[in-house]
Amino acid sequence: MGKIVLKNICKNFGEVKVLENLDLTIEDGTFTVLVGSSGCGKTTLLRIIAGIGPATSGEIYLNDEEISDVAPGRRNIAMVFQNYAIYPNMTVKGNIEFGLKNNHVPKAERERLISEIAESVGLTELLKRKPSALSGGQRQRVALARAMVKKPEVFLMDEPLSNLDAKLRIQMRSELIELHKRLKTTFVYVTHDQVEAMSMADKIVLMEKGVIQQQGSPEEIYRNPSNVFTAQFIGTPAMNILKLPNGCHMGFRPEKALMSETAPYENCAYRTQGQVLTREMLGSETLYKVMVAHVDGSSQPVMVKMTEETIAEDRSVRIAVPEKDLYFFDREEARIRKEEKPGQYEECLRCLREVRT
Amino acid sequence: MTAKQKRKIARIVTGTLNTLFKVFVGFLFLFPFYWMAITSVKPYLETLQFPPTLWPKNFTWSGYQTVFRELNIWMYIKNTIIVTGSVMVIQIFVDVPAAYAFARWKFKGSGILWLLVMAAFMVPGQLTFIAIYFMFADWGILNSLLPQILPSGASAFAIFLLRQNFKQIPEELIESARLDNASEWKIMWRLMIPMSKATVVTTLLFSFIGHWNAYFWPLVMTRDEKLKPITLAIERLKDMERGLDYTVIMAGNIILVLPVVVLFLLFSKKIIQAMAYRGMK
Ligand SMILES: Nc1ncnc2c1ncn2[C@@H]1O[C@H](COP(=O)(O)OP(=O)(O)OP(=O)(O)O)[C@@H](O)[C@H]1O
Ligand SMILES: [Mg+2]
Repeated sequence: MGKIVLKNICKNFGEVKVLENLDLTIEDGTFTVLVGSSGCGKTTLLRIIAGIGPATSGEIYLNDEEISDVAPGRRNIAMVFQNYAIYPNMTVKGNIEFGLKNNHVPKAERERLISEIAESVGLTELLKRKPSALSGGQRQRVALARAMVKKPEVFLMDEPLSNLDAKLRIQMRSELIELHKRLKTTFVYVTHDQVEAMSMADKIVLMEKGVIQQQGSPEEIYRNPSNVFTAQFIGTPAMNILKLPNGCHMGFRPEKALMSETAPYENCAYRTQGQVLTREMLGSETLYKVMVAHVDGSSQPVMVKMTEETIAEDRSVRIAVPEKDLYFFDREEARIRKEEKPGQYEECLRCLREVRT
Repeated sequence: MTAKQKRKIARIVTGTLNTLFKVFVGFLFLFPFYWMAITSVKPYLETLQFPPTLWPKNFTWSGYQTVFRELNIWMYIKNTIIVTGSVMVIQIFVDVPAAYAFARWKFKGSGILWLLVMAAFMVPGQLTFIAIYFMFADWGILNSLLPQILPSGASAFAIFLLRQNFKQIPEELIESARLDNASEWKIMWRLMIPMSKATVVTTLLFSFIGHWNAYFWPLVMTRDEKLKPITLAIERLKDMERGLDYTVIMAGNIILVLPVVVLFLLFSKKIIQAMAYRGMK
């Protein structure tokens, strides 16, 4: 069991308010990913859950039991730090064993646990080494093993893969997903990499400036963003956002736009013309930057992602987006959903139509 | 002459100058030791000779024999060992927690306390010894080694050095240990000290040298011969009835400094480490 509930959490560093009235529920057994740009308060939030950087006010519950005043070592929560924080003066074994010793686990039991964990993360051969003689990936495993051996109810991980090279990162990513499947414990994973968030999470919690912007499954966040920030944060390249004459915003994903030199696209809600500025070959896909004539009369660059690369630079093209792939946002950049605010939605659609005729 | 040759000559010249300078400085520091050592094995008459001999013509151990015969040297050495040893042990148990607290804890008045420690660092013992002497007289402990031990129980210098070192240790390591359910005590002994080994050894060594060679403080704190350390005993070699016998005086000094020199040679690498800036791995 490892369900975490945060209620009304505030955190100030002196005058600076980093988190304000934050509420969050992390369900037992989920792989929850906290994602957000640098400095938005992700680490701060993890430290509050771990108990090493207590909140200024608010309550934390673990399995419906308040733990705000419980010492970090007694919360049954383990944390993997961004820089691993392995004890440099102890061997790999010493690192893994330290927490067990402090919890007075008997020697025989300790030995058994250590060899079991070392086996599962592939550290058996390295147990006698000092951390200074390990590679980055190996250190990362030590940090993981140290957290795992305590059999915690919640794993907190602060960008544990950010120091690894791309290849190792992808490998460790799938190992972590596997680990989560095997342990079935609650994972709270921090990253500022949206690809990592999308590929690992059961649930994504998107933060900005200490405020939770949206939470939900990766699919939901991708398909149904509730504001401009979320829409632009998830997905590469970011969603194209264009201003409408009525002050609202329109958005569409680069991979959802249709583009060709000839097709009229008569059934699409948004249609316009433009000129290809640049073309970027990404392997299976090609990314175009296109200057389009926008509904308000201005010219704006948009990104379009296509699987073919038949269109050359400088060519005039037609671009269109069907209604189901269009997103509208109000003046405050909050989403206008058809089922919630049909009036506003229609108004935005009308803006597009008027210009076209 | 080609540019290459010029560079070569320049390199040779600077290299030579560099070496010469090192030899000169080394000579300045080592010569007094050398002089002390050879004088201690010269016969009395040779020590008075002018010009002096740079290598003794006749060896003699009589200086050392006199020291051991005329002084109850083991008693003094025992006193010095007890005082120095106790001071070092007490200092470990006082300075390390103090430095840890100053480095890592924000508590009420920590700023002021730190200023006080630093101020204590700057007040010389010559200013306070009378007051302290009367205090100890009040307590009735003048008849023991305690007056030589207690005032050195905390070393502001060691606290300062250790604090600077502890501050360099990444916060995450300590937080990690807290998550591992380690007590502050454990964090100190199992993490902070092992990671600051060089500094700990250095401060202990300084403390050792300071108390092994202590002269002023025992001089003003002791009346009883039984309580005096070896420094005061060696000092007495000067005013014995036989007059100034440099052989004997230097033999005494050699006995005094030998342990210090040996320890220094053993630990010199650690000292250099502690003084040089080290990045954390
Ligand atoms: N000890 C501190 N004192 C003052 N301000 C702090 C302190 N720690 C963090 N902050 C501020 O709090 C904000 C949130 O910091 P935090 O470390 O949680 O960011 P983050 O989301 O983890 O960023 P990153 O992705 O770069 O790690 C930042 O603006 C930071 O400057
Ligand atoms: Mg962070």
